[in-house]
Amino acid sequence: MSKELVNAIADMREEDALRIVREMVESDSDPMTILDAAREAMAVVGQRYEEGTYFLPELMLAGEMLGQITEIVKPALAKAPEVTRYGKVVIGTVQGDIHDIGKNIVTFMLDVNGFAVLDLGVDVPPQKFVEAIRDFQPQVVGLSGFLTLAFDTMKETVDAIKEAGLRDGVKIMIGGGQVNEEIKAYTGADAYGRDAMAGVSLAKQWVGAK
Amino acid sequence: MTVHVDFEPVGRRGQCPTGSTLLNCARELGVDLVNLCGGGGTCGRCVVQIMEGEVSTPTSSEGKFLSSEQLAAGYRLACQTVPLGNCKVRVPPESLTTPQRTQVEGEELPVAVEPPVQTYLVTLDPPSLDDLRADAGRLLEALAQQYGVMVSILDLAVLRELPLRLRGEGWQVRVAVRDEEVVALLPSAVRPLGLAVDLGTTKIAAYLVDLETGRTLAVKGVMNPQIAYGEDVIARLAFAGESPAQAARLQELVVETLNQTAIEMCAEARVAPAHIVEAVVVGNTAMHHLFVGLPVDQLAKAPYVPAVASALDVKARDLGLHFAPGATVHLLPNIAGYVGADHVAMLLATGVTQAEGLVLAIDIGTNTEVCLVNHGTLTSLSCASGPAFEGAHIKHGMRAANGAIERLRLVDDRVEYQTIGGAPPVGLCGSGILDTLAQLYQAGIVDSRGRMGEHPRVRDVQGVREFVLVAEDEWGDGRPAITFTQKDVRELQLAKGAMRTGINVLLEVNGVTSDEINQVIIAGAFGTYIDVASAVAIGMLPRLPLDRFRQVGNAAGMGAKLALISKTKRREAQAIASRVRYIELATAPQFATTFAQAMYLG
Repeated sequence: MSKELVNAIADMREEDALRIVREMVESDSDPMTILDAAREAMAVVGQRYEEGTYFLPELMLAGEMLGQITEIVKPALAKAPEVTRYGKVVIGTVQGDIHDIGKNIVTFMLDVNGFAVLDLGVDVPPQKFVEAIRDFQPQVVGLSGFLTLAFDTMKETVDAIKEAGLRDGVKIMIGGGQVNEEIKAYTGADAYGRDAMAGVSLAKQWVGAK
Repeated sequence: MTVHVDFEPVGRRGQCPTGSTLLNCARELGVDLVNLCGGGGTCGRCVVQIMEGEVSTPTSSEGKFLSSEQLAAGYRLACQTVPLGNCKVRVPPESLTTPQRTQVEGEELPVAVEPPVQTYLVTLDPPSLDDLRADAGRLLEALAQQYGVMVSILDLAVLRELPLRLRGEGWQVRVAVRDEEVVALLPSAVRPLGLAVDLGTTKIAAYLVDLETGRTLAVKGVMNPQIAYGEDVIARLAFAGESPAQAARLQELVVETLNQTAIEMCAEARVAPAHIVEAVVVGNTAMHHLFVGLPVDQLAKAPYVPAVASALDVKARDLGLHFAPGATVHLLPNIAGYVGADHVAMLLATGVTQAEGLVLAIDIGTNTEVCLVNHGTLTSLSCASGPAFEGAHIKHGMRAANGAIERLRLVDDRVEYQTIGGAPPVGLCGSGILDTLAQLYQAGIVDSRGRMGEHPRVRDVQGVREFVLVAEDEWGDGRPAITFTQKDVRELQLAKGAMRTGINVLLEVNGVTSDEINQVIIAGAFGTYIDVASAVAIGMLPRLPLDRFRQVGNAAGMGAKLALISKTKRREAQAIASRVRYIELATAPQFATTFAQAMYLG
């Protein structure tokens, strides 16, 4: 069953995947088995993306599927023990920008790779990042922005985190548009990532996960 | 402090401020280097070769676009390189902007001529010791007596020239009246002129019109000179946002170009720019704001609010335009931050707002605006289709200039193509790019997911797959190969996906399906030259019988002209703008899923 589920998700057969999940839930399978299968499938999707076989649509559709599967499994999951997480990440699209496709992909890739992710959404003011860092205590902060104008707001956000005295407690990564070494330096972030997998590698490296 | 920079083979040289990049030096010296990103080091187009002199060390952006051999040979990106002393720079031909093919023609709609400015030939009694009325009062009374036209205001500039003109013209003048104001005094034999302008991000199309007959006297298409400061709207807004002086520079550039264009068109029609009494300018909201000198910061950041949406009347002189002293520039209304007056003009010109049934109107450009007319209700949105179809971010992409492949077919394993001007092939312009993807997809070389498969013409270059359109040795003149890469396919999937998402979201919110569409109107320069069958093949446009598509050319320019010669059309434009329901695409429900699916080919 779970091998079938892995293949269905990895091959983008959404209806099959959801049907299998429902059947597994109905037959009282361990919800963790279902989620493990989903994670395994996501790893396959990620790999195919890196090889160039898959492109953005597959990542986005896989993310959608994962969301739906989580919804179906949730009731059963409440009884199961919480998974261990590598670490915590606060992520959001910075103020002045409302593009979230890239950010959503990073969020779900972090999630399937074992991070607890707090997604603040789009058009997020610097102060909201600061508050989230205080409350959620992440090790990693992800600032996303697609428009070149977002780089200024990224800088403002990093500055606000610095002013709040929280800068030393977090690692900050940026991504979204045409980011590069200069823009990283300009914003004062610790690193930049060109795609979702780069974001995951950075976060893993920072929290010391393998 | 300055350094001496010498650009060859164009032969432009001169002193430039120390610390400016070579791109800025080039601008200073009038060398038109291609740069799509506005000097951000992200497009890799402004390649130059340092022949002599010391320059700054390469940045990481340059490392992405130039190989270590190229860097060793002195190849650099002009926007990333700062001369450290006097230097000599070679500009390869592909780094120079070429004369562009600009689209100005469009279908004209018949309309009753009813211009906002009327002229009246007035004969005055010269003053005498028995008749001491002031010149202004004398003129207004004569207007009332001879034509029953009650006018109360004289434009100050008109008033300033009134005494000399009356005496110089022997007390007979043609008085141009707009609403209740005298806006110009013309010589008695002169016809009043109007100017309609479609102020595009890339191109400007201008139409010189006889305001009495509505006849177009001259037409001209020129490049928008702001391009030197960024290829797309965002880059330009960012540049303008950096300082008021930079915003003013962008405004001046457009005004200078309009003044020059007016002079050239008037010379061609044997008339004078001083007789232009009214102009209508349409553009997207960003071009509109930059032209009028309105702040753009709020436009560039979410929630993207324009400073003004309603129609504007501005004195031409206040913008720096050298027309008749009291001439007015009318700007059609904007709808939202990314759907502007050009969209309104397009809707006006195509007449779709009165269309029966379901009609889709698309103006394809760097930003593509789409309107769905559903039994009289209008819904519009803008999608960031990007400059891929202008040739940007495509390995061998280029603008529509000589030598660009504009049509392409695969016949068995052979590639057949046609270039602009019949010149030897240099690269692919938008319509050629579209044809190439459609042909590769239809031949099964690229699958619906956009993955390039095996084929005798497909090769691997440093891990990137590419399809060879023109091989290295094909022309025997050392001409480099022209290829279409896996990455190009991905760029087009994004562009095409954005456009199709816009269309699908409009259909979705109207609760209709694509096969119900009675007509698809395609406006804009790129839209004029594309093979609709190719656009349908890759799924950029909905799969409908080809006779339901209509390519109408520069509809925005035509709309500007209609609003210039007809007060009724001008009112209609205002009505259209207020009828349109605007949708912010990125916040539409199911946007991500729709976009993901729309990126698939077919």
